[in-house]
Amino acid sequence: MTKSKDQVKVMVIACERSVNLDKELSGAHGRDLNGVSNAYVVRVPCSGMIQPRMIESAFNSGADGVIAMGCQIGDCHFREGNKFCRERLLGLRPPVIKKSVPKNRLKGFWMSEVQVKEFKQRVEDFKTEVAEELSKEAAKA
Amino acid sequence: MFTTLVRTGQKAILRIEDICNKVMGSEQNILYYHGAMPNFFLWVLFLSGLLLFAYYMPTLEGAYQSVEYITQKIPYGDMIRGVHRFAADGMMLAVWLHALRVYFTDRYREYRLIAWYSGVALTFMMMLIGITGYVLVWDERSFIIVQELEKLLAAVPVIGAGLAHAFINDNTISNYTMSMSFFIHTGTSFALLVVLWIHYMRISRPVVNVTWAIGCLLFGIVLILAGLTPATSGPEAVFTVEPKYFEMDWFYLWLFPVMKILGYELTWLVLLAGATFVVLLPNFVKSKDHEPALVNSNKCVGCKLCSIDCPYEAIYMAPRTDNSRFKEIAVVISDRCAECGLCVGACNFDAIELPFNTSPVVMDDIRIAMGVN
Ligand code: SF4
Ligand code: SF4
Repeated sequence: MTKSKDQVKVMVIACERSVNLDKELSGAHGRDLNGVSNAYVVRVPCSGMIQPRMIESAFNSGADGVIAMGCQIGDCHFREGNKFCRERLLGLRPPVIKKSVPKNRLKGFWMSEVQVKEFKQRVEDFKTEVAEELSKEAAKA
Repeated sequence: MFTTLVRTGQKAILRIEDICNKVMGSEQNILYYHGAMPNFFLWVLFLSGLLLFAYYMPTLEGAYQSVEYITQKIPYGDMIRGVHRFAADGMMLAVWLHALRVYFTDRYREYRLIAWYSGVALTFMMMLIGITGYVLVWDERSFIIVQELEKLLAAVPVIGAGLAHAFINDNTISNYTMSMSFFIHTGTSFALLVVLWIHYMRISRPVVNVTWAIGCLLFGIVLILAGLTPATSGPEAVFTVEPKYFEMDWFYLWLFPVMKILGYELTWLVLLAGATFVVLLPNFVKSKDHEPALVNSNKCVGCKLCSIDCPYEAIYMAPRTDNSRFKEIAVVISDRCAECGLCVGACNFDAIELPFNTSPVVMDDIRIAMGVN
C-alpha cells in the first residue's frame, strides 16, 4: 500500500531524558507531536527499556514507521541503555526483533534534550523515507 | 533558582558534547571519558613515579641532590619529572571535570551515593599525595610546606600536638620527616587503588580506560608541557635561611595561600564546612519514592539476560526452590536498582517490570496513541 508523506503515521518510542518533549505534546491523549502531522510519542524512562515487542506492537497498531529514541550514544543517564537499544535495533543483542518487522521503516534516533527543533525536522525526513519505502515495498509485491 | 542553575549547566554540557560528537564522533569524544581520564593520568603517574623512585633518596641531605641528579644526569630524567608533575595536574583537572559533569547531569545521588562519597574521599587523598609530593623535592617551597602543615596540624584542638608530631615524625624536622612524606606520598597512592575499587562498586562494565587516540592525545599534551615548561626546583632548603621561593601549583597547593589569609583555625573550619557541604549535596535534592523493578516468578525462565544488562549490578540469579522446571530465577537487589528499565528491555517474557510503568502499560499507551483501542 502506498501512502503520501502526509498520510504516513509514525510512532516515536522515546526516552524521557532525550529530546525534551514536555511542551511538545498535545491531542486527545497528549501523545501527538506538535507541528508534525501523524507523529505520536510514547515516553519511557530509558531507551534501554524498549522491548522488541513494543516496536512490533507499534507496527501492529498501524504505525508505518517507528522511531526508537535515546540520548546521544556515549551519554546515557543509566550508562548503557541507548547502546543496548541500538544494538537491539541492529540485531546484535538479544532479545531480537522479529523478522516480520519492516526494518527499513524502523530507525534509532540518538539525540539530547536540547535538540527539539532538529528532532522534529528528522521526524519529517523520516516520514518521507517511510513513504518512499512503502512505495518500494508496494512495487515489489 | 538553584534548579535553574543546574538545568542550565546540564544544557550547556549537552550542547558542548553535541559539538564534540560532530567533530570527533561519539567513540572518540573526549568528554565522554571524563571518568576514565583521571585513570589514564593515574597510570602515567604510577609509571613515571616508579622511574623517579629508582633514583630518589628520601633524606634531608640526599633529597634535593637526588632530584637534581634525576633532572640533569639521567637520560630524559627531566622529561620524566615533568611528566610526573603535569600528569598530576592533569589528573586533578580531569577529576574536577568529572565531578562537575556528574553533578550537573544529576548522576551523583540515590543509587550512585557510594560513587559520590568515595569520589570526595579520592579527591582529598589526591590533595594529600600532591602536597607531600612537593615536600619530596626539598627546596625552599618544601620547607615552607612542612612548616605550614605542622602549624595547621598543631591547630587541631586536643590532638593537634600529637598530629603535628606524627607528621614531623620527630621533635624537629629530620630525615624521619622525609620518610614520612615519602610514605604518605606513595602509601596514599596505593590506597587510592582500594578506594577506586569502592568507587567502581555496583557499576557493571565501568569505562576505566580512554581510547588509544585519546590516550596519545593526553600524553602528548603532558609531554609538550613537560618539554616547554620543565619542572624545576627552587633553592635547596637550608635551616639557617628563611625560605622564600614558592612557585604556585594551583591544582594542589592552593591551600597554602588560603592558610595565609584565613589563619590555621579558620582554614580547618572552611575545609570541614566545604567537605560537609559536598558530602551532603545529594541530600539537598528530594528523591522520588523508590519503586525498584519486580520479578514475576511465574514468568521468569531464568535466561539471565536481565542480569547481564542491568547497569548497576542490581540483579543476580538465584536457584529456584519452587519445583519450577527452570533452574534459576532473577532477583533484584532493591536499593541498588535505579529504576531504569534496562532489564525490562532485555526480558522477552514480560517477567520483570517497573511497577510504575510496566511494559503492558507502555504497549497500551502505544495502541492508544495510535488510536487503536
Ligand atoms: S530476562 Fe526475564 S526471563 Fe530472563 S532471567 Fe531476567 S526476568 Fe527472568
Ligand atoms: S531497573 Fe532493572 S536494569 Fe535498571 S537498575 Fe533496576 S534492576 Fe537493574
